[in-house]
Amino acid sequence: MPQSEFERLALEHIDALYNFAVYLTRNPPEADDLVQETYLRAFRFADRFTPGTHLRAWLFQILRNTFLTFYRVRERESAIADDGVPDWDVPMFHDAPEDSSSVMEAHTDLERALRRLPEEFRTVLLLAEVEGMPLEEVARVMECPVGTVKSRIFRAKERLRALLRDYKR
Amino acid sequence: MNERFSDASDEELGQRLRAELPRYAAPARLSAAIVEAVAPPRRSAWLAPAFAAAATALVLVLAFVPLLPRILPADPAQRLMRSVVAEHERALMWGARRPEAIPTALPWLTQESGIGLTRVFGGDDRLAFRGAEPVYLEGRRGIALHYRDADGHLVTYMVLPAPALPLPDRQRVQVERWKPALMYDNGFLAWVWKHGDLACFLVSDMVSEAELETFKDYFVRVRTATEPVPAY
Repeated sequence: MPQSEFERLALEHIDALYNFAVYLTRNPPEADDLVQETYLRAFRFADRFTPGTHLRAWLFQILRNTFLTFYRVRERESAIADDGVPDWDVPMFHDAPEDSSSVMEAHTDLERALRRLPEEFRTVLLLAEVEGMPLEEVARVMECPVGTVKSRIFRAKERLRALLRDYKR
Repeated sequence: MNERFSDASDEELGQRLRAELPRYAAPARLSAAIVEAVAPPRRSAWLAPAFAAAATALVLVLAFVPLLPRILPADPAQRLMRSVVAEHERALMWGARRPEAIPTALPWLTQESGIGLTRVFGGDDRLAFRGAEPVYLEGRRGIALHYRDADGHLVTYMVLPAPALPLPDRQRVQVERWKPALMYDNGFLAWVWKHGDLACFLVSDMVSEAELETFKDYFVRVRTATEPVPAY
C-alpha cells in the first residue's frame, strides 16, 4: 500500500483515537500530543502493518502502548508525595483518584465515574462499548486473550455501577 | 439518572455509555499538524532534476577542462613564448628532467637538441648554474639551461630553432647594444631575441619594476657569454 494511501486511511480514525486519548489522559492538550505521537509512530512503522488486517485496532494499540509507555510513567513519577516517597505502588485495577482542578471537567456522573476507573477497565469499556469494537480487536489492542477482555468488561461494569451508586448517595 | 445506571443491566449500561458519554472530536489543527509533521521537506518539483542536471554538467566540465583545446595566441612569437613559459614552470615545479653539467654534457646536448653552444654562460656570483637539458616544444627540439639567483628566482635560458619567427617590434627594448623583445605570459617575463635562425628566451618570474632592472642585468650576462648555433 502506498504511504500516502496508508496515511489517508489512518487519518480517517483520528476522531475515535482522539476521543480515546481524552479519556485516557483526561487532558485535551495531552490527548493532542498522544494522538500526534501515535500517528508519527504509525507512519514510521507503516511497513509493519499487514494490509487486510484491522487498521483501527492497530492504531488503538499503538495509542494505548504509547500512553502506557510515556504518560503512565510520567504520572507515576509525578505521583511523589510531599514527603518525597514515590507513590508508585498503585495496585493494578486500583481506582484513579478524583479529578484534580488541572484536568478537564466531567459533564456527567457517568463520565466522572468512567474516569475514575482504572485504565484497564476504562479502556475495555471505551473500546468495546463506546467504539463498538469486536472483542477480538479489543483483545488485540490490549494484548490479552478474549476471555480476559470479557472478564474485564464484566468487572468494569460492576465497578462503574458501584461508583454511580456512590454518587447517588 | 444515577439510579438508572446503578441498577442497569450490562447491556443497558453499554447502551448508555454509547449514547450519553460525550465524544470528543479531534481539533482540525491536529490533523493539519500531523500531516505537516510527516510530510517530507517541501522542494520544488523542478528543483531536484535541475539540481542534478547542474551537478552533472559541472562534473563533466571539470572532467573535460584539461582536454579542452587551449585558446592559443594568434601571434607565433607569443604562442612559442607560452610554451617556453610552460616549460619554465615545469622546471620550476619539478626541476630539470635530467640535469646535465656543462661543458661535459655539451656534446650530448648538441646531439639531442640539434643546437650547439660555442660559448656558454656557466654562472657567476649572481647566477648559479643548475643544469641543462634538451627540450621539445611546438614541434621543435631545443636546449634549456637553468640558473638560480641569490634571491631564489629560477632563470631559464632556452634556445629553439625558429627561422621565420618575427619579434614584435612594439615590445622591443634597448638593453645596452641589444634590442630584445620583452614579453609577458601568465605571470612570467621573458627576454626574446633572435640569434640567426634561432630564437632565444630568458624567462623568469621577475616581473616587478625593481626586479626588471636585475633581469636586464641577467640578460646582459647571458647574452654576452652565450653563443648558440645550429648544429646541423
